[in-house]
Amino acid sequence: MTTTETRTPVLELRHINLHYGSVEALHDVSFSAYGGEVIGLVGDNGAGKSSLIKTVSGVNSADSGEIFVDGQLRHWRSPHDSMVAGIETLYQDSGLAPDLSIGANIFLGRERRRGGLLGRLGFLDQRAMEREALEQLERVGITIPQTQRTVSELSGGQRQAVAIGRAIAWAKHVIILDEPTNHLGARQSAEVLKVITSARAHGLCVLFISHTLPHVLEVTDRIIVLRLGRVVRDAPTSQFTVESLLAAITGLSE
Amino acid sequence: MATSTQTEDVTEPAARASWLRRTLTNQQVVLFVVLAALIIFFGTRNSLFFQTGEFSNLLTDFSGLVLIALAETYVIVAGGIDLAVGSTAAVSGVVAAGWIQPLVNAKVNEALVLVVGALACAAVGALAGGFSALLITVFDLVPFVATLVTYSVGAGLALVISRGAPVGYNPGAIYWSASGIGMVTWLVAIILVISIVLGVVLHLTAYGRYTFAIGSNEFAARAAGIAVRRHLVSIYVMSGVLAGLTGMFFYIRSGSGAATTGVSNSANLIAIAAVVIGGASLTGGIGRWAGTMLGAAVLTIVSDGLIFINVPPTWIQVVVGALIAVAALLQTFRRRSRRLS
Repeated sequence: MTTTETRTPVLELRHINLHYGSVEALHDVSFSAYGGEVIGLVGDNGAGKSSLIKTVSGVNSADSGEIFVDGQLRHWRSPHDSMVAGIETLYQDSGLAPDLSIGANIFLGRERRRGGLLGRLGFLDQRAMEREALEQLERVGITIPQTQRTVSELSGGQRQAVAIGRAIAWAKHVIILDEPTNHLGARQSAEVLKVITSARAHGLCVLFISHTLPHVLEVTDRIIVLRLGRVVRDAPTSQFTVESLLAAITGLSE
Repeated sequence: MATSTQTEDVTEPAARASWLRRTLTNQQVVLFVVLAALIIFFGTRNSLFFQTGEFSNLLTDFSGLVLIALAETYVIVAGGIDLAVGSTAAVSGVVAAGWIQPLVNAKVNEALVLVVGALACAAVGALAGGFSALLITVFDLVPFVATLVTYSVGAGLALVISRGAPVGYNPGAIYWSASGIGMVTWLVAIILVISIVLGVVLHLTAYGRYTFAIGSNEFAARAAGIAVRRHLVSIYVMSGVLAGLTGMFFYIRSGSGAATTGVSNSANLIAIAAVVIGGASLTGGIGRWAGTMLGAAVLTIVSDGLIFINVPPTWIQVVVGALIAVAALLQTFRRRSRRLS
C-alpha cells in the first residue's frame, strides 16, 4: 500500500474471500478507500471486478473477510443494507426506471410525502421532488431543463448522468460505477467523467470500474488491478501508463 | 461546471416534436375526440340516444366494466396481466348470492343485506387474487399462466356451486339498483367514487409510484428498496377485490348470482382492451387512469350504440377488435415519432 492516510477510510475491505462452488472468485482482497478519492478498478474479464463490487454492494456475501464503512464493521443481508449505510451502486444500464420522470427516478424508493394527513395517506409531494431533483442534478453539474420528462426520452449519456447524479445525491460515503461509459460516444463519456470529478469534489469516494483504460487514467487518483481474483497492483494513477496498466492487467509485467 | 453542451444535448429528442404533434399523438386527447364523435354520431342516427334513460343505461354498463378495467390498469402498469377478473366476478357473485339468500328470506334490511353481500364478494375476490399472487410470487409462474389458472378454476367453481342456474332471488336489490338522483343511480355513484379513488391512488401516491416503477424496471425498483413482491401481491389481491365488487354489481342488477357473469362476455378481455385503448403498454410502466376511463367509455358507447342503430350484436366484437388495432397502432406511431426526432 502506498497510502499514508491517517483519516478513517470510508470503505475498507479486509481479507475478502469468495467462492462460486469450487471456483475462487476473490482471494484475500484487501484495500482501503477514502473520501474525495476516485479509485479505478480494472482487470480482465473474470478477474473478479464484478464479484468484488457485488460483495461491496451486498448482492453477494463473502465467504470470509470483513467490510468496514466509515470505520464500522458491516454485514449486508441485501443491497438495500449497503444503500442505507451510504453506498450507492450503479449497475450497467439498469439503475433507472425509463417510464418514470427524471425527478421520480432521483427519488425512487425515497419519495417525499406531502405534509399532514395527506402525507400519511401516501400522497406524494411531486412538485418538491421535481424541484429538489433539479437542484441535486445542478449541484453535480448536470443541467436538465425539465425533470418531468421521462428517462426514456433522454440520450444514453444523459441517462447515465442522471443515474450518477442520483447516486451522488444519496451516497453518504461511496458510489460504485460499473462501466458507466460503456456504449457512450466520446462527448457523452466526457460528460460522465465530469460528473465523476464532481462527485470527488463533494467528498465522496468513487469506485470506477471500466475497460476503457484512457478513461480510467484520466479520471482516477488511484488504480487497483485485479487478476484471477487477487489484487495485483494498488498504486497512484500517476505511476501508470496505458501500456503498463495493460501489462499489469494481463500479467505480462511480472 | 460548464453545462452548455449538456443543455443542448438535452433538447434532443422530444422537445423538438412540435406541440401539435404531441397533442395529436396524446392517447387521451385522441380518445376524448373519438368519444365526442361517437356520441354525436349515434345521437344523429337515432335521437332517442340523448334521452336520459339511454344515458343512464350507458352509465350502468360503463360501471360494470370500469372497476375491472382499472384493476387491470394497475396490474398492466406493474408489468403483469390478470385474466381472472371475469370469472372472479362470477364466482364471487354466485358465492355471495348463496350466503346472503337466508338474510333476504328473513326480510333483513335490504341495505344491510347488500353491504354483507359486497363484503362477501370482496372476500371471495381477495382469495382469488391472492391465489394468483401466490402462483406468481412464490411459484414464479408468469402472470399470464397464473391468472389463466385462477380464471379457469373460478369459472369452474362458479358452475359447480351454481349448478348452472341463477343463485338466489332478491327483488329488493333490483329495485334498489334503479334508485338514485336523476340519471345517476346510487349504484353507479358508488362505483364512480371508487373509480376516482383508484385514479388518485395511481397517480398521486407512493403506492401508485411504486406500481409504475416495478412495471418500468423491476430491478431498479428492487435496488431502490421497494418491496416488489409484497407490492405485486397487493395489486393482484386488489384486482380480485375489484372483480368481486363487479360480481356484486351484477348481482344487484339481476337480483341473483350467475356463473355466466363476466365469463360469457369475456369481461377480462374487454377490460384489457379498455386499458390498451387507453394507451397503456402491455410491457408495463406506462398507463393512465384517464386513458382507461376513456377507453372503457368508448367501448361502452360503441357496444351500446351499435345496438341502438340496429347493427347486429354479433358485429360488435369485430368493431372492438378494430378499435384495439387503431389504439395499438397509434401507440407504435407515437413511440416511433419520439425515437426518430
